[in-house]
Amino acid sequence: MNFKLTVSQITRTAGGFTRAFGDMVYGASVYEIVRGLHKERSHLEHLFILIVFGDIVGIPVLPPYYTLRLLPYVVPNINGWKRSLLRERDLTDLCDQEIT
Amino acid sequence: MSMREVFDQNPNRRYIMYGGKGGLGKTTFSAATAYWLAKQGFKVLVFSVDPQASLSDIFKRDIFGKGPVEIMPNLFAQEIDADQRIREYQDEIRQKIRDMYGMTEIPEEIENYIQSVAAEPAMEESAIFDEVVDIVGSNEYDYYIYDLVPLGHALYYLSMASVYDQWIDKITGLRTEMEEYSKVANVMQRDKETEEDQILKELQFIKHRINVSSGILTDKLKTAFFFVVTPEEMIILDTKKASDLFAKFDVPLAGYIVNRVIPAELSGENIPAYLVNRMEMQTTYLKEIDEVFAGQVLARVPEFERDITGLPMIERVANEMFGGKK
Repeated sequence: MNFKLTVSQITRTAGGFTRAFGDMVYGASVYEIVRGLHKERSHLEHLFILIVFGDIVGIPVLPPYYTLRLLPYVVPNINGWKRSLLRERDLTDLCDQEIT
Repeated sequence: MSMREVFDQNPNRRYIMYGGKGGLGKTTFSAATAYWLAKQGFKVLVFSVDPQASLSDIFKRDIFGKGPVEIMPNLFAQEIDADQRIREYQDEIRQKIRDMYGMTEIPEEIENYIQSVAAEPAMEESAIFDEVVDIVGSNEYDYYIYDLVPLGHALYYLSMASVYDQWIDKITGLRTEMEEYSKVANVMQRDKETEEDQILKELQFIKHRINVSSGILTDKLKTAFFFVVTPEEMIILDTKKASDLFAKFDVPLAGYIVNRVIPAELSGENIPAYLVNRMEMQTTYLKEIDEVFAGQVLARVPEFERDITGLPMIERVANEMFGGKK
């Protein structure tokens, strides 16, 4: 019984090491690329909301009828989009930073 | 060729439309065509796409916002209540937001947006345009007769379809690009499951609806578009311009119907100079209509002694258009 438990503990520890090693390799190799892709997607998401729902920040956009169908899907992103669109920008924006 | 021959020779043309300037008789001819087809044994729906619809007046029945109403056996009429449609649409969106995010109250900003959209100038037309997709999509009738809006508005409908189409294409392109970024990121992260982009799905749904509606307007096999014209100089000029514009949008023109022709029999009677002058003027312009729209004039409908309301009068118009009972 004890022996079996030890084996399962060893297996778990080995699994943890493998995962940690995998994460390390991932972090050292493609992490930056994936982050860049997500960031690019988020920029496009903001552009999309601007094109479809510009009215919310006072930019007249047509046509409105079918845009309502899309509204439920952007509800969680609207505040982030407005922050990103309306925040002040300065020279430090030229550097890579996390604020969106 | 006569109106009857046009219908007999093209049984696949199930969508019938009358176009022309305001007040020339589009609603009258829509109702008369519906009446005639119903009498031939076809199940017909005549519906109005005009926010200021007058089918209720011509049939002497209040049908506004009541869905398809049976006027007589085989003949149904419908007037779309655009405001009601917009209200239902807004409620549907509110409910979807509540369901998706478990909200009891819609955030103020979102609610304001939903309400402000209803006040947009093109909202009524768009709502009707959208409901037409449901009406013709039901496939319950042999014939669908559109009681169209006056010329300018009808062109607006056509151009609206192409504007919508371009808008959808543009934002679908953007959405597809976003999807690609997500896919690549998922592959790199070894995530097997990619979340389906609901917005892209909605866009494809909207595009389908727009294509159904505009596709019918330009389908040469299934649609017949008739112009209503009266023997007056300005009307002839405007109709010529409009028919050229409609041709540019690929609307299949089936022919012209001349309305309000003063009966020639009157000339033998003792009539006042006023009427004699009107008749001479009409003779000149009827000749011009035959020249300008050579070979495409399908019927001449006389001016009646009273307005066209109620089924007996509609029957008289139908007999003039289609040449009596078969």
